[in-house]
Amino acid sequence: MKYLTYILLSLWLLAVTIPLAWVGVNSLRSSKEIVENPFGVPWLVQGSPHQEEAGHPTPQESAQSNFQNAWVESNFSQYFLNSLIVTSVSLVMILLFGAMAAYALAKIPSLGNRLIYLYFISGMMIPAQLTLVPLFFQYSYLSETLSAWTAPLGIEIQLHNSHAGLILIYIAFSLPFTILILTGFFKSLPNALRESAIIDGASEFTVFWRIMLPLARPGIISAAIFNFLGLWNEYLFALIFVNTPEKKTLPLGLSNVSIQAQYNTDFGLLFAGLVIVIIPTLITYLVLQRQLTKGITAGALKG
Amino acid sequence: MHINRELKRLRWFLIAPALILFTCFTALPGVRALIYSFQKWDGFNEPEWVGTQNFQALLADDLFIPALKNNAILMVAGGAITLCLALLFASTIHRGMRGAGIFRVAFFFPNILAAVAIAILWQQMYSTTDFGIINAVWIQLQEALPGVFLDKDQSPAPFPFTDSNYLIWSIVPMLVWTATGFYMVLFLAAMQSIPEEFYEAATIDGASPRQQFWHITFPLIREVFIVGIVFFIISTAKFFDAVWVMEAELPNKNSHVMATVLYQKVFHEYNVGYAAAVAVVLFILVFIATLITLNFSRKDSLEY
Amino acid sequence: MLRYVFSIFLFLSIMLVLAFYSDAVHRIDDTAQEIQVVEVAIFKGAFGIEWHQQMAEQFNRENAHRNIKIELWGDPKLANILKPRLLRGNPPDLILDERLPLWLLIAADKLMPLNAPLAEPALGFEQQKWADRYAPGMLNMFKSDGDVYAVPAAFGAWTCWYNALLYKERGWEIPKTWDEYIDLCEKIKQSGMAPIALQGKNSYFYAWSTYITLVQRIGGVEAINRINALEPNAFSHPDALKAAQVFQDLVADYYQPGALAMTHTEAQLQFIQGNTAMIFCGVWLENEMRETIPADFELRSFDIPGSPDWKGNGKMVHGQGMEFLFVPRAAKHPDIAFEFARYLVSPQHAPGMSKSIGAISPLREVNAPENFSPAIASVVDIVNDSPGSFNVRPYMLFPAWKSQVMDAAIQDLCRGTLTPEEFARTLDDGIAHEVATAERAIPDAVLLNPSDYGEDHAH
Repeated sequence: MKYLTYILLSLWLLAVTIPLAWVGVNSLRSSKEIVENPFGVPWLVQGSPHQEEAGHPTPQESAQSNFQNAWVESNFSQYFLNSLIVTSVSLVMILLFGAMAAYALAKIPSLGNRLIYLYFISGMMIPAQLTLVPLFFQYSYLSETLSAWTAPLGIEIQLHNSHAGLILIYIAFSLPFTILILTGFFKSLPNALRESAIIDGASEFTVFWRIMLPLARPGIISAAIFNFLGLWNEYLFALIFVNTPEKKTLPLGLSNVSIQAQYNTDFGLLFAGLVIVIIPTLITYLVLQRQLTKGITAGALKG
Repeated sequence: MHINRELKRLRWFLIAPALILFTCFTALPGVRALIYSFQKWDGFNEPEWVGTQNFQALLADDLFIPALKNNAILMVAGGAITLCLALLFASTIHRGMRGAGIFRVAFFFPNILAAVAIAILWQQMYSTTDFGIINAVWIQLQEALPGVFLDKDQSPAPFPFTDSNYLIWSIVPMLVWTATGFYMVLFLAAMQSIPEEFYEAATIDGASPRQQFWHITFPLIREVFIVGIVFFIISTAKFFDAVWVMEAELPNKNSHVMATVLYQKVFHEYNVGYAAAVAVVLFILVFIATLITLNFSRKDSLEY
Repeated sequence: MLRYVFSIFLFLSIMLVLAFYSDAVHRIDDTAQEIQVVEVAIFKGAFGIEWHQQMAEQFNRENAHRNIKIELWGDPKLANILKPRLLRGNPPDLILDERLPLWLLIAADKLMPLNAPLAEPALGFEQQKWADRYAPGMLNMFKSDGDVYAVPAAFGAWTCWYNALLYKERGWEIPKTWDEYIDLCEKIKQSGMAPIALQGKNSYFYAWSTYITLVQRIGGVEAINRINALEPNAFSHPDALKAAQVFQDLVADYYQPGALAMTHTEAQLQFIQGNTAMIFCGVWLENEMRETIPADFELRSFDIPGSPDWKGNGKMVHGQGMEFLFVPRAAKHPDIAFEFARYLVSPQHAPGMSKSIGAISPLREVNAPENFSPAIASVVDIVNDSPGSFNVRPYMLFPAWKSQVMDAAIQDLCRGTLTPEEFARTLDDGIAHEVATAERAIPDAVLLNPSDYGEDHAH
């Protein structure tokens, strides 16, 4: 029995790692090689058997050209930067606003708290798909109205196809979950801390900002990790609210390359694109894996 | 606690940003979707009230119900395999074994990859071209075992995994591949909070590992297991990316899921009301599934 | 108190900076009146956009004194980018992409009729109007009440492709009749090769086009007319039914196994790699597969044969305008968009287009075979040799029918899960439903006269 489960676990380990290794190997080969010699790992080791023939690049050359194509010509550098901007700005705002609201709900007793809390939490039930269409038209309307106001200043506002517009949605959508986790955390902090600080002459705001917020760091970290992964990989909202190539995020860029690969059969480029998407996640994961798994499961358990 | 004016002001100041953003960009659009679902609107001209006509169309036509069925396949087939595997893996690792750390780290990884990247990766693995790794193995198998999979005179052929007819079933392994690690770690975390004394006592009483699992481990993580089911239901009800990518953005009625129907109705057929109706049904299903499943759990895990 | 005022101010400014002083804010450009920037969006498919970009630059150079500037860009997922933009009333001035639901846009009055530019002289052939330089039938696809809403920039002919070198080597002959064609398939199959590759994942276009060709071959242009006129039971007519049967048999007997999972590239790769001996495809095949065609591969094509027992003229081409250009109602500079469209699709620039991207022009008398690669020249020969072309319109007319009915039905016909009768019934019922629920008048079909194509009624 024990051996059986061991074998099963090992098989699963292979099932998880082989596809990733396969992507890595193929990203180092030209489309011609991939097509003509599908599982030709030896080419990598020994160099191409057809090296003398014209038109067969060496492994180094194929790798270089794949990644250069992906990073420069297919704009992956731009997509990467865009994803970084959108995710980091959203994340800072989510955590700030989330922590503020959670603190008030957990630590400032008031009649409406339970109601507001439930209002936020019910947001977790709202699927993105439900709000997609109204948000789309709401943005058109909002942009028009705001532009009418700001027109005398010589500027117009267009929330469509802007990172700002995407960020606003991301913040709003991530708040319920963040507030859920952080309210739990703030509740677990002792009230005595606040009272002694007040006696020492600190203001209520200082108590929140200087004392409670630093103490809630573990909760904030798990919320941060959970939200980071969700936003970094988000596809549906980005698909609709970002249209032009220079604004696209990484998942959009990747799916673009996969469609493009259908029109020019450049599989090497596709695999290189996959590697570019996978590697940062892999590195982040290996460095942070302990906090990451802890954060995610803590978040899930709270939910 | 004594509430003074300063505190009151601080309270609103702290809550306001989250409240405003959440109301404007999540709650309000949610309500508007409900309104749209009773209207006929092409997105350009004036909307027109049509009552429940969109919902009637939804149930009558040959698009939404098959899509719903596809969501159900992902939910039930994917969920059963994923959760059972995750439970098996978690309990094995929990009772201590060499290399537990490696398994945990490796199994969890696919879960944090972008769904689009996973879909493209599997699309390439399923490919019927010579480099599609799964079909390559399948053809090798056919050649190695003549007469088992096909008649002697037939030549080996790739399996059309991404054929619209089989697509949803082909996505199930992908879903399991991705999600098992997550649920394993989830269950593992719950199992680790079970006091060791329970197992010690059981061992003294001569309980086998299997008995220990069914009488100690599973009852104590039951609640988390139910949370897992809810998570799975919600995530598969919203499923979008893989169908979208693997169908080259043009699913047909054999491969549609609810979210792709919604996208197509708005942006390809300019039928906003219908799409909103789909979204409302999706919301209701998620809502009901969550309530029902939570009802099964002994304690309300959403308690405040 | 002061601290609150300060903090609130801080938050407001953060929100402002974040939401409105970032990329959502655009300066209203006063120079816009001086230089008119015209946005042109091109579908970046098998033909790429390099040639279009060259044309835009050339146009800008020639019109430098007029303070106008064409800004041209392209994307393989153009339709997805433009759908939201069309919905919010901010489209480019000129668009090339028929993957958008054009008929719905026409019905919602979101496109401009192109009658004005079509009445202007053709560039490089000034003695005639632009409209008159189009080959017959090319402007019919998006015509409503005499208004033309979209014009094709290229001509797509549906033919059967093969590797001439391989055929020479094996002694296979190009079939002249359907019986010979079936014999050839049988011979290929006996040699251990799969005869035909199918772009199964995109059946709604690829399998469909072959099926429609067979409908004409078997039932003549009259069968095509029935479909275009949206006659009840057009697909269940015995001739169309027979075409479905012939096509289903062809798929069952001679198509490559597993083909229904193949994207167009995958299937075409099977053919290029020599796993199959034939593939049905449009003229863009060579351009699309350029990177993977081996040196010892002579790509050529032949017309899908008819049969003396059938009504249709086997020399007619199943051809259609493709790469449609249109101008949205909300375009900011429609006049310049018109002008550039006329520039792009002109007798003057057609040879250049053929040479650089291998596209066949939809205009008359500009497609000299020497302008093309040998592969595409073989298609041009077929086109020049044909008495005319035909095409069907329901899938353009009714996007919902295409995605909900036809797409799955043609795949099921290929799989054998629908009989030809069930297949035809499904299509007919779907059309009847669309016609019954149509909210606006459906534009009349432009019908072909069988006697123009020597299709004998005596049969």
